[in-house]
Amino acid sequence: MTMQKTRRLIDDLADGLRPVPPRAVERRIGTALLSGMAISAVLTALTLGIRPDLMTALQGSVFWMKSLYVGSLALLAGLASVRMARPGTVPPRWLWLSLLPVVVIAALAGTEMMHTPREGWSALWLGKSWKVCPFLVLGLSIPIFVTLMRTLKKLAPTNLRATGALAGVTAGASAALVYCLHCPESTAGFLLVWYSGGIALAGLIGASLGPRFLRW
Amino acid sequence: MLAALAGDARSYHEMLNEAAALLRVYFRRRLGHAGEDIEDLVQETLIAIHTRRATYDGIRPFTAWMFALARYKLIDLLRRGQGEISFDGMEEILSGGDFESATMARMDVEALLASLPAKQARAIRDTKLEGLSVAEAAASEGLTVTDVKVSVHRGLKQLALRLRGK
Repeated sequence: MTMQKTRRLIDDLADGLRPVPPRAVERRIGTALLSGMAISAVLTALTLGIRPDLMTALQGSVFWMKSLYVGSLALLAGLASVRMARPGTVPPRWLWLSLLPVVVIAALAGTEMMHTPREGWSALWLGKSWKVCPFLVLGLSIPIFVTLMRTLKKLAPTNLRATGALAGVTAGASAALVYCLHCPESTAGFLLVWYSGGIALAGLIGASLGPRFLRW
Repeated sequence: MLAALAGDARSYHEMLNEAAALLRVYFRRRLGHAGEDIEDLVQETLIAIHTRRATYDGIRPFTAWMFALARYKLIDLLRRGQGEISFDGMEEILSGGDFESATMARMDVEALLASLPAKQARAIRDTKLEGLSVAEAAASEGLTVTDVKVSVHRGLKQLALRLRGK
């Protein structure tokens, strides 16, 4: 009888019980995120190269504006992904907070424009690398996205599209953080359009892949 | 469940047995029959409870967490079994709520129509519920077009009065 089988299954499950450490979900997602970022950092160093003036840049404010912008997005999306790893959850309401960094950068971009003559505007928005920036961010997000998705699949997401989208944004934003090690661009306008563009692209791809790759 | 997370195998065993009983009722009620697939779903959900127990946070009630897993497994089964179903349709299958309220609304309308003279009720049913044109309704009832229009008008007026509590 099948009910007998269920009883045997329960015996087996209870036999092999091992304790679960507290905050296991946070730990696993955190580990996935950091190991993915480590791979991306190695890839950046080997293929794109670390910007030669990194030490000087660390002392300026531009580097930190960039890092804080994408770092805060990565943190918020990462925390939301932790929540989505539990069954029956919806994206948290505080997710709208991720608009704040965007608004701040947009305001900074506006100030830049006011302080720059009209001839310099296209340099503000396009920099030297606008054609490749979003795609490099997207490319660097792949290892992070893969480690995140593999971890999430073993947890219990039930809203697969939203979970995939958030994993994509987390991967994109933390890839952008890694990309700061290479990228020499220095304007808020560039950051607003091309960094955000790469991150959004990663989120869209995540949303489209979620239902297929997160099923359990 | 908290004891189980800490590694207490005996209370875990007891908890899984209770969970299996609850899940059996849950799936039987939603699929509307008892059978092999019910027990399969119960087993799949028990395995999910075990392998994904780290996602239980101890804040939400345990049953809410468990039924969220069960619901996911049920949707997954329905998707596999019936190919592409829109998620909206799925909600309806799972809750049964829309079907119930739609049935109730239909019964209300029928009760109201029954209170009207037969000719008016027929005219309203033909034109408003069955979706016939006034000309079609007139032809099928053997009346003139004006006659149908007047019947519909008078009937709706009566219904409006009745709904306002007269």
